[in-house]
Amino acid sequence: MTDKLPGAARAAIGARLKAFEQAETERILSSCTRCGKCFEVCPMTGYSKAPAAAAAARDVVGGVLTVLRGVQGSPEALGWIAVCCRSGICVPACPEKVDPQMMMRLARMTALGGRGGAKQIAMREDPDFFDRVRAFAKLQLSDEELKHWT
Amino acid sequence: MTPITFWYGCNVLRHGDIIHACLDILRALDFDALPVGGPDYCCGTVKDANQTAAGGMATRTVGRFNALQRERVVAWCPSCHSHMQEFMGRANDMRFAMTYLVDLLYANRARLAPLLVHPVPMRVLLHRHLGFNEHSPVNRVVPELLRMIPGVEVVEDDYRVPGYMCASLQAVPGAIDDMIAATLRAAKASGADAVVSIFHQCYRELCGLEAQGAIPVYNYIHLLARSMGLAYEDEYKAWKKAGDGAALLIGTERIARVGVEFFERALLPELKKRPLIPKL
Repeated sequence: MTDKLPGAARAAIGARLKAFEQAETERILSSCTRCGKCFEVCPMTGYSKAPAAAAAARDVVGGVLTVLRGVQGSPEALGWIAVCCRSGICVPACPEKVDPQMMMRLARMTALGGRGGAKQIAMREDPDFFDRVRAFAKLQLSDEELKHWT
Repeated sequence: MTPITFWYGCNVLRHGDIIHACLDILRALDFDALPVGGPDYCCGTVKDANQTAAGGMATRTVGRFNALQRERVVAWCPSCHSHMQEFMGRANDMRFAMTYLVDLLYANRARLAPLLVHPVPMRVLLHRHLGFNEHSPVNRVVPELLRMIPGVEVVEDDYRVPGYMCASLQAVPGAIDDMIAATLRAAKASGADAVVSIFHQCYRELCGLEAQGAIPVYNYIHLLARSMGLAYEDEYKAWKKAGDGAALLIGTERIARVGVEFFERALLPELKKRPLIPKL
């Protein structure tokens, strides 16, 4: 299948994605009041390498916002960002409808260096990820299915 | 028949039986389902650390869906579905509607019900996560689908695992062990005969429980398919249960397709991996 878009079209889509992420970042930064409810209800905080008490929730959330600004985050904020698994119960818990799940996803992308800044947390990359998927496909699908479905 | 694109994703390619059963179920519901997936149709969600790459992958995949000229893409994978909603669709010109498979099955439950003719006598604990339900109310809907199967009883309890799918827990030390312990505790407390997953990544993790002799494990599609009389062999589970003996089950001809070295280095360790079974 031919799926090569002209370079200009690809660049325009990339620019739209960046613009969306930036607009969301600015919306979150302007609307979050650091009340800490999202941290308090999160079931993953205990897995953080730098765990923080619920009493420090406001500071941890403040640290996440710092990361979103492109600045080095606190160990507690980065520890929380690293263990976010998108449980999503922070979303209804937020009194300002900030969408903390989106806040954490963007913070994760930023902390991983995915949005152009410095890398602040490490991610375990699996170099065989796609090859393993292709290999299992070869074990499970026929040649015809591989040709037409993948 | 209504033409749709069935976007099964990447990692479910470990479970050819699930893909084949989904296609049969969709056809029985009068959908002309065109299956696509694998790395060439990646949504890009695995590339959080490189948004340029993630955006490029998403653009390629959306472009391919547009070229197929089918009005609806039905997703199997919750990662693909949510990433499409939250990011891919924000920048790309999507000339199709997105639906999650569970929602499509539920919307067509009146047509599905008469097809579920074979009893599956089983009291099951549904492996539910906290997340993803804002995209599709799977925690509420999958039990309703399962209860349409003669003989299936779904345990109602408060068991909910963090995250949206077990894949997200794999990178967090201790989280999978806790999930396994919570699952076994809930299964024991409820007297369940089996644990049933909604998503493939969870199924992959939970298969280790059956391999350890702890409790039988299925995906909800397995139970729907069984009740419809569809008999696909669950090879991944058989390989997982065989562990070191998986190579014998797979056979030299198929292993040669992926290469002996790669099989032994990258596939066999996954098939031999066993969860830590806690004392309850």
